[in-house]
Amino acid sequence: MVSLKEKFGRIVGADRVSDGAAERYVYSRDMTENPPHEPQLVVMPSTAEEVQQIVRLANEERVPLVPFATGQSVGGLTIPQVDDAVIVDLKRMNKILNVDEEGMYIVVEPGVTFGHVRKYLDENHPSLRYTYPISSPFTSVIANALLQGLCDLSTRYGAMAEFINGLEAVLPTGEIVRVGSAILGDDNWFGRFPLPDLVGLFTGWQGMTGIVTKMALQLWPKKPFTRHFALFTFGEFMTTDLLKQIARGDLAEDAGALSFSVVKALIGMPAPIEAIEGEPDYGTFLTLSGITSLELDEKVRVLERIVDRSKAEEPKNLLIPFEAVARLMSEEAYGWVDFPSDSFKQLTEYDGLTWMGTYIHPKNWGEALFKGRRIVEKYGYELMAFLKPMKGMHFCEFKFIIRFPRDDENLKKVRQCNNELLDLALDLKAIPYKTPVWSARKLHERADPNFIELVRRIRNLLDPNGIMNPGRWGL
Amino acid sequence: MTSDGSVIEQWLHSCVRCSNCKYVFREYFPSCPSGEYFGFETYYASGRIWLAQALYKGELEWEPSLLDPIFACTTCGNCEVQCLAPHREHIVDMIEELRARAVQEIGGLPSHIRFRENVVQFHNPYGAEHHNRNLVETHSLPLQAETVYFVGCTSNYRETQIRDATISVLKKAGVDFTVVDEYCCGSPLIRTGQLGPVNEAAQHNVDAIRDAGAKRVVTSCSGCYRTLVRDYPKLGIDLGVEAVHITQLLKELIDKGTIVPRPNEPRPIITWHDPCHLGRHMGIYDEPRAVISKLPVDLVEMETTRENAWCCGAGGGAKAAYKDWSVETSKKRIEQALRTGAELIVTVCPFCTRNLRDGSSEDGPPVIDLTELVDRFI
Repeated sequence: MVSLKEKFGRIVGADRVSDGAAERYVYSRDMTENPPHEPQLVVMPSTAEEVQQIVRLANEERVPLVPFATGQSVGGLTIPQVDDAVIVDLKRMNKILNVDEEGMYIVVEPGVTFGHVRKYLDENHPSLRYTYPISSPFTSVIANALLQGLCDLSTRYGAMAEFINGLEAVLPTGEIVRVGSAILGDDNWFGRFPLPDLVGLFTGWQGMTGIVTKMALQLWPKKPFTRHFALFTFGEFMTTDLLKQIARGDLAEDAGALSFSVVKALIGMPAPIEAIEGEPDYGTFLTLSGITSLELDEKVRVLERIVDRSKAEEPKNLLIPFEAVARLMSEEAYGWVDFPSDSFKQLTEYDGLTWMGTYIHPKNWGEALFKGRRIVEKYGYELMAFLKPMKGMHFCEFKFIIRFPRDDENLKKVRQCNNELLDLALDLKAIPYKTPVWSARKLHERADPNFIELVRRIRNLLDPNGIMNPGRWGL
Repeated sequence: MTSDGSVIEQWLHSCVRCSNCKYVFREYFPSCPSGEYFGFETYYASGRIWLAQALYKGELEWEPSLLDPIFACTTCGNCEVQCLAPHREHIVDMIEELRARAVQEIGGLPSHIRFRENVVQFHNPYGAEHHNRNLVETHSLPLQAETVYFVGCTSNYRETQIRDATISVLKKAGVDFTVVDEYCCGSPLIRTGQLGPVNEAAQHNVDAIRDAGAKRVVTSCSGCYRTLVRDYPKLGIDLGVEAVHITQLLKELIDKGTIVPRPNEPRPIITWHDPCHLGRHMGIYDEPRAVISKLPVDLVEMETTRENAWCCGAGGGAKAAYKDWSVETSKKRIEQALRTGAELIVTVCPFCTRNLRDGSSEDGPPVIDLTELVDRFI
């Protein structure tokens, strides 16, 4: 009798499938506090056709599949939720297929990372840019878009899923489909409208509706004039009020605010970092740009005016040009604003990293931060909040990052801390993103049951055998 | 390191598997020959660190399927350069400790066991007849001298042109040197976790060098150099004299005017391959380039160079146990070399020379050692 391993091996090659103890262990867990669960196999396809054959075989054999791009999710999203799962590691599908200068989009496979996109564009299309998150430079561009993450253009344009022009996916039943304008051909990935917007069948679904094998993402022209600033502020309410004004003024391409502890980590302060009485609570890195120097200068003037006005309430608020930050901290500081992924190293202190992140109504932003901070302080973790005004201030993001040693005591404590943070967020009607299963279940308890039922129905419709990432998102 | 000397225990709670180790920082070239070829997360440094931690903590049981992820690594150390986490300088040490534990728990790989047996029986990993001391007679060397040339097994039994060129250069420079009855330095054993016979061989070498009345040891092998300078002290072995690499000595001899390269036209275009054991492991990048700059050649660097250089694929026991992958890795380096337009690929490690040649096509640029190049022009 031919084993399952051999059957997968016939599709991808025997050396691209493993049931070794090492692979089963390493793919069973990630950097977060989420409980491990071993897969039975790991398989590495290199083409959409191989993915299609894998999905067809999984249907025949009723084997659960878990897509894995580069394994950088901070939510346990590639950890199997059921026994005998097969991890589909997509890192060999790492081609940048096309950049359309006129249509300003890039078409990539799931193994393509932010670092590779950045380098490719700089070398081949220097007038265009993509958008980059504070995550490892080797995070999958497609995974981050599918998971609706945020990036350094989110202050203006919103979550990364907004950047998707269209995609190709292998459905749970094995068909290869396209959504978006490329239904009319390969050189036509210009957008999603006017069509039934089926990109939504894949974004936010955490791999339950198929395996995305190709995606077109919007690029943006680089503005010729750019300046960066650092804004140091005090208190959660005052900080968020000030950020709201800046974002509503459409002044900044990006406004990423960090607890001052993160700023101290960036300048090399060793862990654990404690907040010191009297120091600013937040440091915000602002990117302003313009088509002309006049436009940029005027934006800077308006920004300065807004910050000056805020000093009536908090005289210590401080806006300084980024050159001063770089002089103070090191030239490396330019890397943080130019390519935020470079600053991710500050989060690699231990073997554990987690966060409870949400998108939230602007009216609840300050309160969420204020109360969340107290929870993190109670558990004795470093204050590492990250917040961002999103999509011109239509909504906001906040998360509390915890870097921790993954020992039993900390795993338990981190779970409790994140649970409390989630309860707080849900009390304030925030929506958690990149949700681990425990978090999704808590959301289900409070969400409109008809919505949850609709999600379940769509999933069952697309995946009658329930092979795609079963158990994910609490379904 | 902790009290029991375990570097794995020291970094038991480090590495989030961020993937920085997989690529050259900000350049995004692949950095890990093993991960690049095998693809699974377990074949990158981060995966190995998690395995080491899991085995140490008892979350994973020892079993034979672990051997490939543990041993299919050239220990080139590129991961250490790219990693930005606190444990970055200790990754190779963690992998070597993991290997030693694997050898203890489930035994090593058959090809590694074979060369360990050869070292014990013949004092070299190739099982060649031990003849090192014959060189004294062949080259009319004194029995005692200020400098001992530590030839190294690969130069002495496989890549003999490196040994001969080194002896020729040392003679032309008038260096007072000899060779001793050297045993394998222990590098292949240390890299593959087979520490048992190392101390005895090392002590033999120390005694032989002392008996020759030497004040310094020079070696043309990057692996031997790393072992004598970095590993012997960790094993509690005091070499008793200064150890230098041939590139350091050549630079010194050229700087002092002891050897003066002749002009030559046309000047060949060469490219330089940094051996991992010399570069990343010992930080020697400038000396070979300084030597090359004095030779009548034009150096064109490859796209990955110095601390970011792509490994030749031979180290860490890879050449013995994983021939196909080892040569595939070498081929990638050769492709980089070809893109420079070089007529010669120059390096300074007998392992690299061997494997780069194995990865070359017959009509490609020859691979030679820096000592051979210097010998041509003095």
